[in-house]
Amino acid sequence: MTWKANRLALRQGSIFPLCASAVAGVVIMTPILVVLWRSFTSGKLGFTVAINVDNYLRVFADKDIWPMLSNSVIYAGGSALLGTGLGGLLAWIVARTNTPGKALVELMPLYPLLMPPIMKNIAWILLLAPKSGILNGMLEQFLGITYPVFNAFSMAGMIWTFGIACVPLGYLFLLPVFLSFDPSLEESAYIAGSRPINTMLKITFPLAIPAFISAFVLNFLRALRSFETPVLQGTPGNIKVFVSRVYDSMALEFNTGLATAYSVVLVILSVLTLYFYVRATRFSERYATITGKGYRVRVIDIGPWKYVTFAAVSLYFLAGIAIPFVVLIVVSIIPYFDYDTFMSFPSHMALNNYRTVLRHASFLNGLRNSVLLSIVIAVITVLAGIVMAFTIHRTRAFGTKIFEFIGTLPLAFPPLVLSVGLVIIFVGTPLYNSLWALGLGLFVAYFPYAFRNASGAIVNIHKELDEAAWVHGAKWRHVFFKITLPILKPAVGGALFYIFIEAIRNVDVAVLLTAPGLEYGPVTLFEYFRVGQWAEAAAGGVIYLIILIVAVSVAKFAFKMKFSL
Amino acid sequence: MAILKVEGVTKLYKDLKALDNVSFEFEKGILAFLGPSGCGKTTLLRSIAGLEIPDAGSISIGDKVQTSIENGVLIPPYSREIGFVFQSYALWPHMTVFKNVAFSLNLRKFPKDEVRRRVLASLDLVGLGGREERYPSQLSGGQQQRVALARSIVLEPRLILLDEPLSNLDAKLREEMRVELKRLIRKVGISALYVTHDQEEAFVISDKVIVMNAGKILQYDSPDELYSHPSDPFVASFIGHSTLVEGNVLKVVAGECVVQIPEFDNATLICLTPKSSFTGGPCSVVIKNGDLRLSNEKFSADAINVLEGTMTSREYRGGLTDHRVQIGTKEVVVTSHRLCPMISINGEGGKIFLCIDKSAISLIPQRASA
Repeated sequence: MTWKANRLALRQGSIFPLCASAVAGVVIMTPILVVLWRSFTSGKLGFTVAINVDNYLRVFADKDIWPMLSNSVIYAGGSALLGTGLGGLLAWIVARTNTPGKALVELMPLYPLLMPPIMKNIAWILLLAPKSGILNGMLEQFLGITYPVFNAFSMAGMIWTFGIACVPLGYLFLLPVFLSFDPSLEESAYIAGSRPINTMLKITFPLAIPAFISAFVLNFLRALRSFETPVLQGTPGNIKVFVSRVYDSMALEFNTGLATAYSVVLVILSVLTLYFYVRATRFSERYATITGKGYRVRVIDIGPWKYVTFAAVSLYFLAGIAIPFVVLIVVSIIPYFDYDTFMSFPSHMALNNYRTVLRHASFLNGLRNSVLLSIVIAVITVLAGIVMAFTIHRTRAFGTKIFEFIGTLPLAFPPLVLSVGLVIIFVGTPLYNSLWALGLGLFVAYFPYAFRNASGAIVNIHKELDEAAWVHGAKWRHVFFKITLPILKPAVGGALFYIFIEAIRNVDVAVLLTAPGLEYGPVTLFEYFRVGQWAEAAAGGVIYLIILIVAVSVAKFAFKMKFSL
Repeated sequence: MAILKVEGVTKLYKDLKALDNVSFEFEKGILAFLGPSGCGKTTLLRSIAGLEIPDAGSISIGDKVQTSIENGVLIPPYSREIGFVFQSYALWPHMTVFKNVAFSLNLRKFPKDEVRRRVLASLDLVGLGGREERYPSQLSGGQQQRVALARSIVLEPRLILLDEPLSNLDAKLREEMRVELKRLIRKVGISALYVTHDQEEAFVISDKVIVMNAGKILQYDSPDELYSHPSDPFVASFIGHSTLVEGNVLKVVAGECVVQIPEFDNATLICLTPKSSFTGGPCSVVIKNGDLRLSNEKFSADAINVLEGTMTSREYRGGLTDHRVQIGTKEVVVTSHRLCPMISINGEGGKIFLCIDKSAISLIPQRASA
């Protein structure tokens, strides 16, 4: 459009959405730019002394940089491989075999919603800790093995914990592939003389590779950004990855220059991974043969093998879901945690941990803060995401494509890094250590989910529905509130719920933005655990679990919400 | 007073001219924009509605300027007081039929009983009385179409715009609806702009037709004129039912002229000179398929424009039959109402004579620019 036509277009109801999106854009960009800027300067906190690359020189002079890089890649790659591989296998078992007991797996997508990441780490540390861990204790008691076979504070322990957490995503990515597989692709292999197992290996699995790669790369990215596992399991075992190094630079040394420089290296890794993710999804679009719908997939009778797959399903259900749950609950209702007390359960049952936790003002404040802030942030973030998506797809203002970039950008920044930026901005101001700063951090960290969700939904609403309102007398606010928002209702509900669930158990944004005087529930649990109050941490965790179970049940039964991560 | 005036409207998509300096005026009635997909007809309609912003030009509805890029005037779509029927119907899925139709009245804060009266009246008019509490998804395609129409006329606008409104219906319903649509628009007594790529639909429904291609208006005429006197080879071929050949006018005598057709082995045809001052030279010759006669034998000695060819194939279309006759290097289609008994003897592949009446031919002088 010519400049003159553009100016005329801008006046037509684009101004308010444009301004609102611009405000959101500035809020998002500020911590990101601060991190980048700070990494190139030296000086204390907000006071720039000089622009230089000193921080980077220190980062690359660090003798730990290469082990750290390889640790990060091994940890992320290992967890992603374990999680995606197991998830894919479970998806195939559910979709294509006559394995008994499949229903156990079909509930799996609910599980990550119920179990906060920090609780998984706590459960696995209780099980796998080298000295006091339950499994090592069992080996000693029953088999006489005194050598600690399991070690939660090792690379294998980290990969195990986070890998198990990666299973649902692998499952959800691969299930539709196996479910919507065009049977004629397999049938033509049968006719060509291929047996079922051979067909699986030569036809079915190769066609699932693109979805596998997508899920793998996404899990890799999640592991790179993950905070709880590296800090709770890696740091005690002296296994450093970038996230834990950034955290130590801030929490122990309070060296913002170093923290931001490490952050930038981590961001570069994330961006590279994201790039591969985009490539992988494009690659999978070419395999369009398997995305057709309306097929009836054939369930294959795998004969005696079904006992093997049944064992696999049961094992996953026990290891991935049941055991951590049970351990947490048991630990929370014994007087204190050690192996003998644990094993003598239920003879020493007591609720003293709950009493202790519920008498702590810090826990109660943290609980209240996390519930209230999560609700507020979910609403604000989802609304802002919709307004930005509306601005891009539904107004005629020029250059709104830039918001597409800004709205997605925080995905490349691990939440911890975003909170580093906010700490640098707010330290020394009254906003530091306030719910405002924390809310901003959660907003920026979760904005891409709200935005991309709204964007995808708006694109799917036929544009003529808006235009019909427009020509029949609706101004932009009428279009937004009477047409767009009501039609978006299901998508809005899902995003609200997802962000609420994520925010209420967030540790990695909140951990740096809270100091004594401001409590945030999950961080309080994190601190309990770090100072060795394991039973109290378990009790607090169970209280969160109950809140999440209530929230999920309300969403599922009152709002008929369907869950798919 | 013209209901619609469009002047010099141009719209660019990157380097592509979707609309190229389009100007016309429309008095009243039903006007169809006809052309192949991508010709700019929908862009033109959307520019009139204010949904697209042209890069140049002006548009007035009634006596009010709606768009004038040069003067910085751009009335937003919600203030143009028009009705619009979208190709997808664009019924809001979360509102009942009543709420869909009442939408524009409610926005303008009409009193409640007035809204009710008007909505029910326009639903009655389109034959959907009693269905106002249904949701769009509970209606058939044809009924949704009627709701969209009711919604566009409920404000009693001066002008309603219809963007290929029948293209989502099946063939039989489409034929019924176009007659019905015409009757309804006439009954409400408002003017309508109607976009379609189907020439038959345009002819049935409209008083005037604008044929467009590549962002330009090729011809603006009544359906009858368009059919019998296409002013552009593209118009002739788009409207169809004719054979188009290149010719060369040898001489012009007293309202008649002699045209030589290279594709017909340089045979000559006698035809009427076009209305405009015509001097001869190269031209396009449009031969109407329906006005030709075929015979196995030579026509009588005084018959003019008799050509000799071979029949290559014959397609029975139920009621009509297309005979494909090869004359020189060109295939001519002859449409007749029944299988011609005289030519069934030799059947396909046989020698045949073709007689072209003068009135079946129209000449289009080649444009200087072409």
